[in-house]
Amino acid sequence: MIQVTDVSFQYPNGFTILEHISFQINRGEFVALIGQNGAGKTTLLKQFNGLLKPTSGNILIDQVNTKDSSTGELARKVGYLFQNPDHQIFLPTVEKEIGFGPANLHLSKDEVKERVREAAAEVGLTQYLNENPLFLSKGQRQRVAFASLLSMQPEVMVLDEPTTGQDYQEGIEIMEMVKELHQKGHTIVFVTHDMELVAEYAQRVIVLSEGRILIDDVCRKVFYQPELLKQTNLFPSQIARLVQKFPDYSKRFGQALTVRELYEQVLKMTESDFRCLL
Amino acid sequence: MSVIISYFQRDSMVHRLNPLTKMIWSVVLMMLSFMVTNVYILAVLFLSIVLVAYLAKILKEMLPAFIGLLYFAAFFLLFQVFFIPDGKTLFVLIPGTHLLRVTDQGLLFSAAMGIRLMVIAASFPVLLGTTQVKDLVVMLVEKLKIPYAYAFMFITSIRFIPTFVQEMDLIIQAQCSRAHRLDKGNFIKKFLSICPLAIPLMITSVKKAEQMAISMETRGFGSGKRTYLHHDKFALKDWMICCSLFVLMVIGIFFNIKGFLG
Repeated sequence: MIQVTDVSFQYPNGFTILEHISFQINRGEFVALIGQNGAGKTTLLKQFNGLLKPTSGNILIDQVNTKDSSTGELARKVGYLFQNPDHQIFLPTVEKEIGFGPANLHLSKDEVKERVREAAAEVGLTQYLNENPLFLSKGQRQRVAFASLLSMQPEVMVLDEPTTGQDYQEGIEIMEMVKELHQKGHTIVFVTHDMELVAEYAQRVIVLSEGRILIDDVCRKVFYQPELLKQTNLFPSQIARLVQKFPDYSKRFGQALTVRELYEQVLKMTESDFRCLL
Repeated sequence: MSVIISYFQRDSMVHRLNPLTKMIWSVVLMMLSFMVTNVYILAVLFLSIVLVAYLAKILKEMLPAFIGLLYFAAFFLLFQVFFIPDGKTLFVLIPGTHLLRVTDQGLLFSAAMGIRLMVIAASFPVLLGTTQVKDLVVMLVEKLKIPYAYAFMFITSIRFIPTFVQEMDLIIQAQCSRAHRLDKGNFIKKFLSICPLAIPLMITSVKKAEQMAISMETRGFGSGKRTYLHHDKFALKDWMICCSLFVLMVIGIFFNIKGFLG
C-alpha cells in the first residue's frame, strides 16, 4: 500500500531530517512509528499524503508516486489527522466542519450528509452536530478533526499523536475507534510517545532515530531490545520492562507486552506449579 | 521577507554602535534622500549604505535585498521615464514618431526617483541586521521616553511574524489534507478559498494572544517602573557619528533652501 524507497528529505534551510529510508507497509497493517523528538516522525508521516515530497527517493501510495499527484488527490486514499485540531476548524457547525472534506471530493449532497452522519456516530458526536465546534472541549474538537478524516473514507489513516492532550479514558476511546477501523480493513499508521498504547494496539513498530530506521519489527521483538531502544531515548512498555527484570521467567513463558498477557501467563504458571505440587 | 527583518550576529564596529546612533543614521539617510535631487549624490548615499553593510560584515546576507531593490528601482524608472517631456530628446523608442520619447532630464529625474527609493528602503534592513530589536526598544524607552507598552507592542508584532508563517503552513497542510484546493476559479472563488485558512489562523492567533497576556501578567508585566539588564552606553564614537550626521543634515537643508530660493 505504501512503498518507501530510499527516501531522503531535506528542509529548505539545509537541515537533513530523513536519510535513505526504505520500507513497505502492506494493506491492513497497524503500524506505530516511534522515536525521540526530532527523529523525523512527523516529517515521514507528511510524505505519505504528499504534504512534503521526498528530496530524493520515491514514495508510492497504491502504485501512485506522490511526486506525480497533489495532496488533494492523495486525500482520497490517505487521511491525515493533525496534532492540533484548531488548525483546521473554521465552519460554524460540527456538521459542516465534518462535511468540508467530502464536499471537496465533489460528492452529492445526500452522500455528504450520509458520510457526516456515519462519521459523527463513529466518534460519538451525533448529539453535537449543530453545535459550534469552537465551543466544544479540546477532546471533542480532536474528535471533530477525527470525524472529518473519517468522512473522507480513506483507505490509509495516518494519525499524528491522536491521543495527546486527552485524558486517559478519552485516549483509550480514540484508540479503540482506531482499532475498530483497522478491523474493518483500514491501514493504520500512527505516531505516539505513549509506549503503553504501542504495546496495546500496534502490530508492527518502526523505530526512527536521527532520520534513520533503527528497528522495524513486530511489537514484541522491538520492546524486547531495550538496549537498542535506549539509543533513541525510548523505554519499552512497563510490562515489558517488568518482565525483563526477570529473565528466567521470560525464558520459560515468553515475552508479555500487556497486562492481560502477563496476567494470563502468571495464571498458567501458577496452574502448572500447582500441578507439580500435586 | 525574512532577510528584511532578521538580525545577524557578528562582531563588527557597526554592531557595537549604540542602537540609537544606527537609528538616527537610518532616519537621516531617509531625510537626506528626500532633500537631494542630484542623481550622483543619491548614488553616493546608496553606496554608503552598502559600505556600512560591508563594515558590519553582513553584505553577503544583505545582497539579495539590495539586488531585489535594484530590480524594483529599474522597474520604477521604466515606468516614469517616458512621461517627462522636458529637456533634450535623447532617443525615441518608436522611431519616426513622438511616442515613448526619452529626454535627458526625464532620464535623470526618474533615475533619481529610483535611487531615492533604494536609499529609503535599504537602510532599514541594515539597521535591523545589525541591531537586535530588543536593544532598539530599550533605547527608545530609556532615551526617547516612549511608553514601554507601545514599544513592547512593536517588538512583539515583529517577533510574531515568523510564528504566524509557521502556523499558516500547518493550516494549509491541514486543509489540503481535506482535499481543499487553493488555486482554482475566478476572483470570488479564490477569495472564498482563503476562508478555510484565514479563520483558523485568526482563531489560533487570538488564543495565542490571550495565553501570552496571561503569561505576561503572571510575570509582572505592567506592575510598575521597569529596570533593564543591559545598558548601552552612548560612547564617544556614537557622539561623533551623530554629530557628523547632524552636520550632513544641516548641509542638506541649507542646499535645499538655497535651491528653493535661487
